[in-house]
Amino acid sequence: MTQKPGKLRAEFRTELPSGWAFDEIEARIGPIRDQLFKQIGQPVRRKEDRRLVTGRGRFTDDFSVPGECYAALVRSPYPHARIKGIDPSAALELPGVLAVYTGVDALADGLGPIPHSPVPSTKFDVRLTAPDGEAPFIGPHLLLPIDKARHVGEAVAVVIADTKARAEDAAERVDVDWEELPHVTDSLEAIRPGSPRLWDEVPDNTLVCSHFGDADATDAAFQSAAHRVRAKFHINRVTAVTIEPRAALADYDKASARSTLYAGSGGAVRQKRELASVLGIDPDDLRVLSYDVGGNFGARNRVYVEFGLILWASRKLERPVKFTATRSEAFLTDYQGRDLHTTVELALDENGQFLAMRADNVSNVGARCVSLSPLSKGSGLITGSYHIPVAHLVARAVFTNTMCTQAYRSSGRPEVTYAIERLVEIAAEQCGFDPIDLRRRNLVSADQMPYRNAVGAIYDSGAYEENMDKAMALFQWPDIAARRDDARARGKLLGVGLANYVESSIGSPVERAEIAVSPDGEVEVVIGTQPSGQGHETSFAQVVADMLQMPVEAVTITLGDTDIVSVGGGSHSGRSMRHAGTVMTMASADLLAEARRRAGAEFGTPAEDLAFEDGAFKCRATNRFLTLSDLSTATAPLAVARTNEMHAPVFPNGTAICEVEIDPDSCQIEITRYASVDDVGRCINPLIVHGQSHGGIAQGVGQAMWEDCAIDPSSGQQIAGSLLDYGMPRADNVPSFDCEIAEVLSPTNPLGIKAGGEGGTTPALATVTLAVLDALRPLGVRDISMPITPERIWQALASAREANMQELVP
Amino acid sequence: MMYAFSYHAPISLSEARKRFEESEDAAYISGGHTLLPTMKNRLAAPSDLVSLGQIEELQGIAVAEGCLTIGAAETHASVAASDAVTGRIPALAGLAGSIGDVQVRHRGTIGGSVANNDPAADYPSAVLALDARLHTSERVIEASDFFQGVYTTALEPGEILTKVGFRIPDTAGYAKMRNPASRYALAAAFVARFGDSVRVAITGASEDGVFRWTEAEERLSKDFSAGALAGLTLNEADMNEDIHASRGYRAHLAALCTRKAVELQGRLTLL
Repeated sequence: MTQKPGKLRAEFRTELPSGWAFDEIEARIGPIRDQLFKQIGQPVRRKEDRRLVTGRGRFTDDFSVPGECYAALVRSPYPHARIKGIDPSAALELPGVLAVYTGVDALADGLGPIPHSPVPSTKFDVRLTAPDGEAPFIGPHLLLPIDKARHVGEAVAVVIADTKARAEDAAERVDVDWEELPHVTDSLEAIRPGSPRLWDEVPDNTLVCSHFGDADATDAAFQSAAHRVRAKFHINRVTAVTIEPRAALADYDKASARSTLYAGSGGAVRQKRELASVLGIDPDDLRVLSYDVGGNFGARNRVYVEFGLILWASRKLERPVKFTATRSEAFLTDYQGRDLHTTVELALDENGQFLAMRADNVSNVGARCVSLSPLSKGSGLITGSYHIPVAHLVARAVFTNTMCTQAYRSSGRPEVTYAIERLVEIAAEQCGFDPIDLRRRNLVSADQMPYRNAVGAIYDSGAYEENMDKAMALFQWPDIAARRDDARARGKLLGVGLANYVESSIGSPVERAEIAVSPDGEVEVVIGTQPSGQGHETSFAQVVADMLQMPVEAVTITLGDTDIVSVGGGSHSGRSMRHAGTVMTMASADLLAEARRRAGAEFGTPAEDLAFEDGAFKCRATNRFLTLSDLSTATAPLAVARTNEMHAPVFPNGTAICEVEIDPDSCQIEITRYASVDDVGRCINPLIVHGQSHGGIAQGVGQAMWEDCAIDPSSGQQIAGSLLDYGMPRADNVPSFDCEIAEVLSPTNPLGIKAGGEGGTTPALATVTLAVLDALRPLGVRDISMPITPERIWQALASAREANMQELVP
Repeated sequence: MMYAFSYHAPISLSEARKRFEESEDAAYISGGHTLLPTMKNRLAAPSDLVSLGQIEELQGIAVAEGCLTIGAAETHASVAASDAVTGRIPALAGLAGSIGDVQVRHRGTIGGSVANNDPAADYPSAVLALDARLHTSERVIEASDFFQGVYTTALEPGEILTKVGFRIPDTAGYAKMRNPASRYALAAAFVARFGDSVRVAITGASEDGVFRWTEAEERLSKDFSAGALAGLTLNEADMNEDIHASRGYRAHLAALCTRKAVELQGRLTLL
């Protein structure tokens, strides 16, 4: 199953840009010998768990500094309202209140906007631009706005007081003179002429409009096609609901003029860089600490205004300032996810061969643009796992009076996977093809790899049809008919949904590793990724242990302190194992080269004559050997650092199958079976990867069945503002999963890694929806939107009954 | 964060009453599962909280003369696990065991739930269907007089619910469809049979909170079978509506739960 990277390189099917395939020579690492892998591939139990489950985690709110005071925010109750004035006097009269700051104060102090860089910028990302082809206007993200609030919950003033309760009491007394403005919350509404305008710079609210693919060839293919199908979908808006709410503690040391920010995030280095820019200070004057993080899923990757506000306040007041969001604040103002309207069309020939595809994607970025990653990622993967020779895509991003959206677990990919898989199923039904046969006929085949899709993305490797066959075997596909009969005998409707997926992991291109071996045999690795439950302390240690032929227990991973970690892209887009694995492999090679040089000098033999075995350099002529720790001294420690820049994306892929049973009377829905095969490239730790798959599936199922940031369009208010109304997946909602890991090595990096964190989520929206539609098809239901709650099923059945009645009436 | 308040933990009913009267704007607190979240969201700001958790008169579960009496401060977990309850009215034990999650069941109390009269709470349906008598610090109130609309009861300010005396039925059943987010009842029906008389109480569904479905009772009193309810519907216009269930779906669910509770007597049924 596994292929050596070298083998693939000889079989390029498409012209590849330079630097795409990994080159061992150029990277100065030498060949990686699989036989040295003792830890890689093993289900090593997570080193971090004992600490985390015995209350020794270091989460942000666990930190306190003497003299700390607290911040509370004054937030907009309106989706769109002009700020005519802010009167803090009643708040300032309360005891213990230290300050009230507004946007005017921030501007006077020269604070800048958060320098979000929303346009993905690796060499392989699709190019998103404004309608005129220029860089898009993103809406400056000031810490506090001075002109108007653009979404419910937007902070317009911050109150600092000596206790949290006093800060909150005072925040209620800040008097904001509001002038309500007309608002718009849905992106399709927002692009209609005459819709309320959020930013004068973007009169039609459309900040991005880009075309990809070949419009003429696509039109021609559609014109001559035997079959054409078309569908419209909305992939609903969700939020991360991290167990640990976002929190920060800012401490200012006047003597050194340095600030320290304790703030869990998706990567401390970005937080430091961007917050220093907001404050207008030298980045060296800001230290950011991000240790244990209680959930991220993308929501914590970007800077939050509260972090800047408390840093600023702590410097002005020369007091430490803390902020911990309430669950209500998290629901309103955590960066949210998804929210894509998509219209897709597929052209097929008379045999079911896909000929062409059209897509029109409209992404709701919220009140200002924090990230275009969802739109960008989705654009590159519009054709999914299928060979569709030509395609044309219009990708638009639109401002609305809602909280900003951000990359959310598997940014952009579940959206387009949902669209293509539903479209394929619709095509099968409308044109009379078997849905599995239709998929099989059109899947990108293993011998087409590397495969360039119709919008230019280069799929690195994979055996898509094999994934589908394996998943169907795992699911016991031939038993479906019998299981359906059994369910029917119990009064239940059984449905099965299958989805193939391919996703791209790109992410920030630069990563750095520092590795040091101490004289007592401890290996310390400093790396710039940021786990929030992914087990980096274990899987990274496995890689370094094998590279240095040391025990995994000897390796410690250090991350999250910007005074130690100078460079690093953080954790997002499934980048961490691949980027860290690659640069740690490179740094290990550097370390071994230096150790070899030292050993050669010690033995007085040419370094290249030494053998390296079991963590020691051995002199062939004698029985002498020197371990890495022998070669490290207090005065000359064995220590290296390597920075690597890597742009080529990888394309994790797989197949997932969901089975549901629906009670047609109560409309209750139960997931009774779930199988998946996920090609993650080389799997470093199957225990961790399976955990990621399971969590990813639950998260995708959550969106498909319950989760929804429902917004009342007339008031602009979020309806689901607490866990009473925002439904989450629970342990008793999902069955035991049947997951299998496939390992088709990627030629783009030395270990052949793809990614394993998002593949569970990517197809789950589609599998659940298709399973429900399969179950309800006999009753005449052809469409249902997410989240598929019992209420939605009841409505769908009622509509289908009504339609059937009308058909019967002559 | 909550507004500031004073906390009292009296050990007798009279002391609790006194504390309440002497405070500017007091609230009793039992399990606190409605009050505390409300206070945390700054939607309630009592000056004083008077805890009912330490008062012996509010505790205990006893059976006498065809009546199962449960102290108002008994937790859902203790009701669910009580032999007296499981032995006499297993549907009531099942109901208690289906409230919230483990943590909620070990803090939340029957008295708190009944006195609060949340329109989606479980206990009010059992109180109505089991023709309970509500004992208070001042008097005894019949179930039919107790519930007076959403979050409203016959309790006067300062009056404390002390125990709930359920009439032990021949058989009873409770069926519930849960809200997928909160797991409160989207709709639920408690159906109890006393000889030829049947009582049906619906919770979760109506805009006005718990109610007796008299049409269903009439039919079931003549023919105690799910089939007897065929074609009987609730008026959609009287139902509650939110993002989780429309009026029509709630009316459908309430009727379905009633049929299930008739079919499956002697237990809790989760749809």
